[in-house]
Amino acid sequence: MAPTFFQLNDTQLNYARHIKYWRRNLKTLLPHFYTSNDANRMLLALFTVSALDILGDLDAALSAEERQGHIDWVYSCQLPEGGFRPWPGSDFGKLRNEENRIWDPAHIPGTFFALLTLVVLQDDLEKVKKKEILAWLVKMQRPEGSFGETVGVDGYVHGGNDSRFGYMATAIRWMLRGDLAGPYQGIPDIDVDSFVTCVRSSESYDGGISEAPYSEAHAGFTCCAIAALCFLDRLPLPPSSKPDGVIRGVSNVPKTLHWLVSRQTLTLDEDDGLDTMNDETDTSETCHDAHTFVKLGAYPSVQAKSNTKGRPHIHYELEWVGMNGRCNKTADTCYAYWTCVPLQILGYLDIVDRAPIRKWLLDKTQHIVGGFGKVTGDPPDMYHSFLGLMVLAMFGETGLQEVDPALCITQKAKRHLESLSWRRKITGMDKAQNGTDKIQNGIDMAQNKGVSLAGDKTQMDA
Amino acid sequence: MAFNFIRAWLRTIFLSPYRLLRALLPKYTTPSRYFEETQVASKSSRMPKFYHDDEAWADMAPLPQDDGGLHPLAAIAYSDEYSEAMGYLRAAMAQNEFSERVLGLTEHIISMNPAHYTVWLYRAKIIAEIGRPLQDEIAWLNPTALKHLKNYQIWHHRHTMIDALGSPDGEPEFISAMVELDSKNYHVWSYRQWLVKRFDLFDKPEELAWTHGMIEEDVRNNSAWNHRYYLVVGGREGKPSADIANREIEYTKAAIRKAPQNQSPWNYILGILRAAELPKSTLKDFATEFADVQNPDHVHSSHALDLLADIYAEEESSKEKAAKALELLATKYDPIRANYWNFRKGLLDQPKVAA
Repeated sequence: MAPTFFQLNDTQLNYARHIKYWRRNLKTLLPHFYTSNDANRMLLALFTVSALDILGDLDAALSAEERQGHIDWVYSCQLPEGGFRPWPGSDFGKLRNEENRIWDPAHIPGTFFALLTLVVLQDDLEKVKKKEILAWLVKMQRPEGSFGETVGVDGYVHGGNDSRFGYMATAIRWMLRGDLAGPYQGIPDIDVDSFVTCVRSSESYDGGISEAPYSEAHAGFTCCAIAALCFLDRLPLPPSSKPDGVIRGVSNVPKTLHWLVSRQTLTLDEDDGLDTMNDETDTSETCHDAHTFVKLGAYPSVQAKSNTKGRPHIHYELEWVGMNGRCNKTADTCYAYWTCVPLQILGYLDIVDRAPIRKWLLDKTQHIVGGFGKVTGDPPDMYHSFLGLMVLAMFGETGLQEVDPALCITQKAKRHLESLSWRRKITGMDKAQNGTDKIQNGIDMAQNKGVSLAGDKTQMDA
Repeated sequence: MAFNFIRAWLRTIFLSPYRLLRALLPKYTTPSRYFEETQVASKSSRMPKFYHDDEAWADMAPLPQDDGGLHPLAAIAYSDEYSEAMGYLRAAMAQNEFSERVLGLTEHIISMNPAHYTVWLYRAKIIAEIGRPLQDEIAWLNPTALKHLKNYQIWHHRHTMIDALGSPDGEPEFISAMVELDSKNYHVWSYRQWLVKRFDLFDKPEELAWTHGMIEEDVRNNSAWNHRYYLVVGGREGKPSADIANREIEYTKAAIRKAPQNQSPWNYILGILRAAELPKSTLKDFATEFADVQNPDHVHSSHALDLLADIYAEEESSKEKAAKALELLATKYDPIRANYWNFRKGLLDQPKVAA
């Protein structure tokens, strides 16, 4: 019973506008308000090339010379001692020496996004100082298992101890040495068990994952933690597998799923939030205190009852469903990414209805000039534009390339990485074609059955 | 459907004065007197600062940025002011200069690019080298933090300074001013947790009272509920006593009665039960106050239904009631999560996997 003129206004991805938006980011200077993101340029670089790759436009957008020029630029951010800086801003050029290089350190996000950018640009990573990076990763881990952003000369690890850096560190490890566990050519492995323990200790009482023990559950940290567990092959085993005695996370999958689906919200902008704050509905008599409830409790859908599949007919208000990052917060484009990716990795994307989320992104946060804004009516920015696009690609939007959402690149780019000869040697893929690719297993799991819902005692008993 | 339109239209009209007000008011009005003493000139009123014609910098040659060839990615249209200041910062860092003038330079860079991760480390080193009083640094940080509410580096810096200072004095007031601007700011709450731990404030009555005040102010502030959990459970290594657990259960029940459709206290009370090793069925009668599957037209909370579905699923003879609760959620009381409720319904037939 949706109003007909909304139906006439067919929801669609404005493919040409998105290409135009990302080509502009590729070809022209970014507006000066990105100055506060200067130290994140490598992230913006990856988003630019990967978005065009997802849109199927990257090859058309770049001449051979430009492609090589961009690859050279990424390598210009590689440090003599290994690892990457995320921007040219801290480069002292010829003046760089032992005394001042502490102000120009290798950087976990810089290295993560540089490697991915090279992969998307189809570089072979031969010039990457891989052993140096792997040795440095070990130093980036703190005794309790978390990873930091940079390490000082005194060995002190700087930066937050949340799962963002653990996500990137474990992804770097996976890119450079696949699923290989233990020392490699004399370089010790990171302490995988202590990292998993660290993630488990950050699980909140409501099932989400937070920054640190007892912090508030947050979709961004939840996504980073679950993706990292996937890179390390430490997700709970599928129901059919026997317990192997290996420490895994998350510890209570049903609770985490409950938390993730609770991120769906009809509070799409701040004004929606007002419904739950100061008006007359906020009493225990009406109990219409949360926005979702105001809209739904008052207008029960008759069709829902007669629907044989148990899937209710889409109510007018249910056409658009947003996603928030924490309990009782407003919807935000990026949280569609941070919430749907862990669901996909765990193998339970089907427990959210993709159609109204897609419709929210396209009708409410997609911008007329291309890209996505944070909330309804916001101008587009690269961060929300990329993550919004990634969600649609993950949902299988027509015209977009298949993606690996945890790595933020297309499946094509990922296959390129996996095909590189140096990597095939490390992972043993050049010997055995049937070598186990755990990430692929993760995706198979996602498509077939999902991780076990059983309490993790069964995983740990053996 | 016409009704929905009228409703939406009316809502827009009624909200417009609020919108107007919001647009007219300055974005960050000073929240309290606390900041007035240290308030610095706002960004817009500040004149650009340059160094090339400044006597004090005549001895230093700036180090311009090498943008890495003809094809840089994500190149930004820097302002002249930023480009030049960054050139001087690189030159100063390259020669490891620690002085008053570079302290000012770091402040200038931070005002334009607070996410510059090593400028903060450099600043910390300068402070140590020139012996700047830590109180002065904190006084400078307060308004800076207000301007960059979502910056990570600022908090890391603050940790370092307060840790070195060894006293939390003044910090609760600072935090109160921050939460007035953004009551759910993740960094502020994380910082508060750090303070509680660093200075062992778990059992300080003021801490719980402050948290209670925040919950009173907005019963939907999940950050406040989470902080309460940190004090009550985290401070007791995950094991609250029976008395404390009962106190928290009663406290939370009162909050739920105020606003039954608010998920924060429902999550909280279940967390308390778990920590106290009490079964969910402890809350069966309470949940039934808000939702009774026998009386499906009078459901006052989807979260109560959700909990009842779990409780019934655990009881051998109540599977049908559990199914009914999940069906009500899927079709009437929480259809945006219909897929999930149907999935849960499917699990009822499987052995023991309830959440």
